[in-house]
Amino acid sequence: MIESVICTGCGCLCDDLDVTIEGDRVIEVANVCLWGVNKFIATKKFHSKKDRRRILAPQSRRKGRAFDISYDAALEEAGNILVQARRPLVYGLTNNGSWAQEAALRLARRWHARLEPGDLAFMAPYYEALARHGLYWAPLEEIRDEADTILFWGANPIHSCPRHVVRYSVFSRGRFTERGAEERQIAAVDIYPTETAKFCKPYIQIDPGQELELLQGLIAQLIEGQEPPKRVKGTKKLAKLLSEANFGAIFVGRGVSYGPARKLWEGLARLVVWLNTRVPFSLFPLASDFNSVGLYHLLLRETGSPYAPDFGASSGLSSHPTPVDWREVDALLVTGADLFWFLTEEQVQDLKRRQVPIMVLSPFANRTTAKAQVVFPVALSGIETEEVAYRMDGLPVGLQKLISSPFRPDHQVLADLEQILAGSSGG
Amino acid sequence: MRLKIAQGRLYDPAQGWDGEVGDLYIEGERIVAPLAEVDLVIDAQGQLVLAGGIDLRGQVATYGLNMLRLWGWLPSPREIGELYAGLGYTHVHEPFLTLYTAKYVHRELAALPIVDTSASLAVNLRDLDKWLKSPEQLGEVEQNIQFLVKQTRALNVRIIEPYVRFRQDYYAHRNIATENLLELLTRLAQGQNSTLTLEASPELLRQPLPDPPAFHLAALGPALTEAELVQAALNHLDQGGSADLGLMQPAGYESWPNLPVQINMGFFRPLDLCPSPSQDAALRALELALQYQGANLAFSGAGPLLAPVSGYARMFSWLTDPSARLQDWGAELGDRAYSLADWINMTRTLPARLLGFRDRGHLGIGARADLAIYDLPKNTDKIDLSQYLGRCRTLLKAGNLVIDNFNLINPEIARATYYLQTGGEASPWLGEMCQYRSFRLENLWVHDHLGGDWVGVQ
Ligand code: SF4
Repeated sequence: MIESVICTGCGCLCDDLDVTIEGDRVIEVANVCLWGVNKFIATKKFHSKKDRRRILAPQSRRKGRAFDISYDAALEEAGNILVQARRPLVYGLTNNGSWAQEAALRLARRWHARLEPGDLAFMAPYYEALARHGLYWAPLEEIRDEADTILFWGANPIHSCPRHVVRYSVFSRGRFTERGAEERQIAAVDIYPTETAKFCKPYIQIDPGQELELLQGLIAQLIEGQEPPKRVKGTKKLAKLLSEANFGAIFVGRGVSYGPARKLWEGLARLVVWLNTRVPFSLFPLASDFNSVGLYHLLLRETGSPYAPDFGASSGLSSHPTPVDWREVDALLVTGADLFWFLTEEQVQDLKRRQVPIMVLSPFANRTTAKAQVVFPVALSGIETEEVAYRMDGLPVGLQKLISSPFRPDHQVLADLEQILAGSSGG
Repeated sequence: MRLKIAQGRLYDPAQGWDGEVGDLYIEGERIVAPLAEVDLVIDAQGQLVLAGGIDLRGQVATYGLNMLRLWGWLPSPREIGELYAGLGYTHVHEPFLTLYTAKYVHRELAALPIVDTSASLAVNLRDLDKWLKSPEQLGEVEQNIQFLVKQTRALNVRIIEPYVRFRQDYYAHRNIATENLLELLTRLAQGQNSTLTLEASPELLRQPLPDPPAFHLAALGPALTEAELVQAALNHLDQGGSADLGLMQPAGYESWPNLPVQINMGFFRPLDLCPSPSQDAALRALELALQYQGANLAFSGAGPLLAPVSGYARMFSWLTDPSARLQDWGAELGDRAYSLADWINMTRTLPARLLGFRDRGHLGIGARADLAIYDLPKNTDKIDLSQYLGRCRTLLKAGNLVIDNFNLINPEIARATYYLQTGGEASPWLGEMCQYRSFRLENLWVHDHLGGDWVGVQ
């Protein structure tokens, strides 16, 4: 048994898993949630009876059918796509380790490509709001120790990062929150009842479109000391809860992306900065992909901006907070994301009509590999290969290799692709 | 590779060299006795030859610092590394590494090119309060701190808050005031065979330290909130204690970004990455530097916003040139001008000693060949040294040319992070001390692939 293994199921990166290995197989995982266990034992998420299909060899697609090919042949085919592209895009990366992200950034730079984080629509408005209002940042460690007030906004952690509530935010017992949930006020705002509602008081269920009104009501009541012009039910209760906090955190989920994300983040950031003038308060995006935060950290560090860098812009490097216009893309490299899960049917059809070649790196078959021109199977980070990942509070951890694997690590495949470009440009 | 640095003006307070013209020989990565034959001669005639600079408190990798890039307030790691190299620096020491941010800090340090790095483990005395109250357990406290230094790959220890204070009234009985801790901290410092670094604060400067030579006060500038604290800092230095300046820029505050950027790292106060600048404290820091005549004061800036590395050259000139002060501060502030020897001491000799690097900061035989060579006119009286000392003509790191004729020719030169190999083992209550961590202990430790390259020092 290997103890204290880190789970790459989500951005919690729980580090207390005990994994039993037999030969080259994981046979048992302790302390893991249902979501996380799928990372170790290849079953389909939440459908544990149905296996997720591992891709066993590099693939090429001809006349709609996938054929196994050698790694070198796959590199050659990908190389042709790389050198012919004029408006290429590297997409995803929020479910890759940091070494792969670094390799992808180097590749994007050399390919004169745009690099688009898979959850840009969720995270970019958060950073825009911080840029306007500033930040007070507390890692999960401190939230667990001290926060007596937690608000989930458009977030269902039970679904997106299940152990968050037991390790960090709700039931966890910290230094000054020894009685766990009994020491905390837990509230949530969402448009439909979720599992999270069960332990939230108040749970404020609003109609779609009311988020902004609720937020404006809170701002009016707390910051401006005025009666909100139109009060959404629950405003008063929530305002009271926030104003009575000694240390608080607002965890924001992807739910905000389905509403007026920019305005919501903007209002939440303003509210939190005001709350912070009284007591410590943190605004925290619940980035559920396991290394989403690592990617934004890398982008900030290397490009000076958390937005999607475009190395192909005629004016030099530019960074974009808004998602790419798919109609401009003429070649795609997808890694650490299942792009076709998120695209609209119209966008899928457009890519198909224009025969935009797609290269994919993935350990498992998914909707995107099913459409790809070239597929590279890769080793699972943190199980079959070492890596580094950043927990959702920006603290990095080292991921171990537990079992051996015939597959290459994704950072190596990305580096090999970059080499093709280096060779073709003589650089 | 064998090198000769020919006919340079050698400056090294440690050797008593104050501009003597001579040759230096390098073999591999070390300065050696004269060689009969060399592979390359670097002509340094009329040029100033110094050891590479060491930034004793270069905030380059603190948890959360990256967020400053959101506002364009912090250059990229590559730019920071190149800025340091251009100044003639070869080592940067990060002040704020904590138990759970250690891996973060090391990843950031590893991203800095050219310069070597190290970091201080900022110990939170709150984690130790139970044991600090029973002085007979000090040995174990010391043992566990040494173990944590090893496991987090830090080079030394720093106390940011020399007190234990709880925000919650319920825990007030566990508070320990600074005056009640100083005796213990002195014993801790004496036990570790090097000075113990305390971040300066007004409260700390008001307390007489029991054994000043046992302590280094870091970043004096922001702590000089009142005029009489300058005298307190001078007293500390005069009594054999050491300190670094924490200089701050005087101008540009009208356009200061008025935004909160605060990071809670578990200390009583959050780390303020965008502190409100105080023109008075900034001026006092400079006045203190000009009043102090000894060798116990090192150069440092007060963080990336108040004192960006790009402004270091100008800060040097405040020390060496009254007219530069007149220009930037509107007053000459007396006619004191640091000699080259003074300036070298505060940017090389003393920082190397304080970090425990016996083979850095000087030009003696056996020293590592980290050399910065600057152009300099013959008469150095009352000249704006920032023009010269802010830009080195030649930089050698471990005997390798990095900057040649002002051009960065070797940006990929090997760099390493230095850490103390204490050999210490944990005492049985380490687990209890770390019980509130959200990581299992073994996942707190810094392993090879989370930073580096690594150089362990004894
Ligand atoms: S919460 Fe996330 S990291 Fe933790 S076990 Fe579940 S999936 Fe893994």
